[in-house]
Amino acid sequence: MKTTIKIAWRNIWRTPLRSMIVISSIVLGIWAGIFVVAFCYGLNKQRTQSSIQNYTSHIQILHPEYDNDFESKYVLENINSLTESLEKEKGIHAYAFRSMMFGMVSSAVKSNGVQIIGINANQEKKVSNIINKLTEGSYFDTKRKNSVLIGESLAEKLNVSLKSKIVLTFQDHENNIITGAFRICGIYKTQYSKYDESHLFIQNIDLHRLIKNDGYHQVAILCSSLSEVDQTQFSLKDKLDGYIIKDWKAISPELAYADEVMETWLFLIMIIIMLALIFGIINTMLMAVFERRKELGMLMAIGMNKSKVFSLIIIETLFLSLVGAPMGMLLGFLTISITSKTGIDLSIVGDGLQSVGLSNHIYPVIAPKFYAFIGLMVFLFTLIAAIYPSKKALKLKPTEAIRTI
Amino acid sequence: MILLMAWRNIWRNKRRSIITISSIFCAVFFAVFARSFQIGVYNKMIENMVGMYTGYLQIHQDGFWEEQSIDNSFVLDAELLDLITRSENIGNFNERLESFALTASGNLTKGAIVMGVDLNKEDQLMKLNSKMTAGEFPTDSSDAILLSEGLAQYYNLTVGDSLILLGQGYHGASANGIFPIQGIVKLPVPNLNDRMIFMPILAAQKLYDATDRLTSLVLQIDKPSSLSKTKNSLLKKMNLEKYELLDWKSLLPELVQTIQADSAGGIIILGILYMIITLGILGTLLMMTAERMYEFGILVSIGMRKRKLILTLLIESIMMGLLGIILGVIGVSPVRYYFYLNPIRLQAKAAESVEAFGFEPVIPASLDMDIALNHSCLVLLIVLLCSIYPSITILRLQPVKAMKS
Repeated sequence: MKTTIKIAWRNIWRTPLRSMIVISSIVLGIWAGIFVVAFCYGLNKQRTQSSIQNYTSHIQILHPEYDNDFESKYVLENINSLTESLEKEKGIHAYAFRSMMFGMVSSAVKSNGVQIIGINANQEKKVSNIINKLTEGSYFDTKRKNSVLIGESLAEKLNVSLKSKIVLTFQDHENNIITGAFRICGIYKTQYSKYDESHLFIQNIDLHRLIKNDGYHQVAILCSSLSEVDQTQFSLKDKLDGYIIKDWKAISPELAYADEVMETWLFLIMIIIMLALIFGIINTMLMAVFERRKELGMLMAIGMNKSKVFSLIIIETLFLSLVGAPMGMLLGFLTISITSKTGIDLSIVGDGLQSVGLSNHIYPVIAPKFYAFIGLMVFLFTLIAAIYPSKKALKLKPTEAIRTI
Repeated sequence: MILLMAWRNIWRNKRRSIITISSIFCAVFFAVFARSFQIGVYNKMIENMVGMYTGYLQIHQDGFWEEQSIDNSFVLDAELLDLITRSENIGNFNERLESFALTASGNLTKGAIVMGVDLNKEDQLMKLNSKMTAGEFPTDSSDAILLSEGLAQYYNLTVGDSLILLGQGYHGASANGIFPIQGIVKLPVPNLNDRMIFMPILAAQKLYDATDRLTSLVLQIDKPSSLSKTKNSLLKKMNLEKYELLDWKSLLPELVQTIQADSAGGIIILGILYMIITLGILGTLLMMTAERMYEFGILVSIGMRKRKLILTLLIESIMMGLLGIILGVIGVSPVRYYFYLNPIRLQAKAAESVEAFGFEPVIPASLDMDIALNHSCLVLLIVLLCSIYPSITILRLQPVKAMKS
């Protein structure tokens, strides 16, 4: 056995070019596996993050009735004690009180149904990313009363622009119809133009003055990190009674499920990549065996038995993967650590992401366990790929093999 | 002469050629396979979205899409009707009168989209009947309405209740009415499910004081693959000063954006797959060169021009490439067909989320022949690029050394 190992090791370095081809296939396979996984997770993470920042936030607190029946009378109760518990909660980065009203917006030419979101400008800034999504105007920093922030697609639909006047109609907490004129102070654009078309922001002070009442329907909470969400939600549920507390997965299930759809997709892609890799290695190894049939025939003629020839080629492949696997992992690690900082600019393959409001830069992320998993998988597949060429080597007939040129 | 030699070279050493051909086969196979799924998913998305609401083609009065007001409606004239009925590839067409109305019931109000439609024809397009959750499918002569589920929940209304509609009719006429609810439909798109009302087109025309008028004409296409042909032939014959013709790309810009965004990621993954494929092909060609050094040495030493030898090798590569590609395309076809008929099903949770959007939870393969064609050309190009290596080897070849090896 020891001799076989020795021969195998020397065989590899006798023809460096051939060995390098197989090694680089393995390196590339592992690198590709790591990179594709990291890339997909990066893409999804970006989508989730921007949805959390633009729309859902991490956790929302609602009046229990408001969740089924969107009547504006269902305002949050005991605001003061609620604020107090929010202040005490450790995992919370920021929170914002919002009023939610269904209503209609009209310009001189058209009208449209909208969700009116009343915000406290300073609180909202810390929770929502809308301030960074402004394409025109500014974020409520005028002293002027009745300012409104509307989406770009809504502005187009209503045929209005910055500083235009629009009229909002909605029902107050007692179901009276309230009408108010607002001036557009800013226009925003997020990744979903449908959202932009149906949501607009006004300040709670203006809203409360109009309806001669106060009260909020929703608290949006941003935790210090995504991993804090579960713990914070659990602790809030424990302390607060008489509210509905939802995390982003419950608010927007499609976001959570997008991960799972992606996993099915990723699985399929990985299978295709691995199969392509296996066939590449089988072919190269097969060529390697046939190229060396004279040499192998000679070994058999001088008395090397079949099981030794078989194990010789398997061990050679094993060595090749042992050299290739760490290199692949290292290369993958380096690529991920560099690109996770610089990002991968996708604008070379079309600005599709930009058009849906996401950044064209993808920052790949990967959990450490994937390195080991992918490395192991490629290692195993390489060994499986080596079986067929080794079997072929066994079928060589020494006399014929020696005679060939 | 060279052609003949190349052809005989290939079959002189069948085993070696088969390995090379099989690596090209695998390249085409996997590239086409991977891309088929991607394109398949997009086509499924388009099919679903188009079947949900918009259809593949719509005709409006010129300027309606820019300003979707009932004042931009039109009367279907004999000329257009004749053109549509005589056009190939257009099966049926749906007349629609679409407008906005404020709905009211009890103390609540909400903005909604009112769609006056020919219910039987819409059933063909949107499968409305199968989306009913309560009530009966109304007949065209009635003035009963179908309420989307979200709207019904908002008002807490069921079949047999009535809903008040307030809106603006054609040329400013007032449009008010009270309508009995005959059924409730669950629409897969949340945005539509919250604000859609269907009513027979006659009732809608009466409500909006727009006798015989339509806002849009949805054309049902028999073969989506020849959509652009149908569109172009219609555009040539239509009176474009009076009407506008829009395809799904203009009707659903978000869908186009989503596909573009996703496609950017897909191209990166495909690029990685191609790297692996290239290495596989390069590996076999490299081995082939090493194996044939002796032969090349003899040929050069008996006076064969190196240039001719390179040409022979190139022709060999092209022949093997073409053979591999043809076999690959033939080989992948039944697999694609299988996955076209039996698409991969998404698993439990992922399936739920996709179903929530009204999509079938499947990843089907596309049968589009363009995919095979494009990727065949790409693989052939890769084969040619890889053949540079043997060519360089021959240029550098020293006959004596080569024959000794």
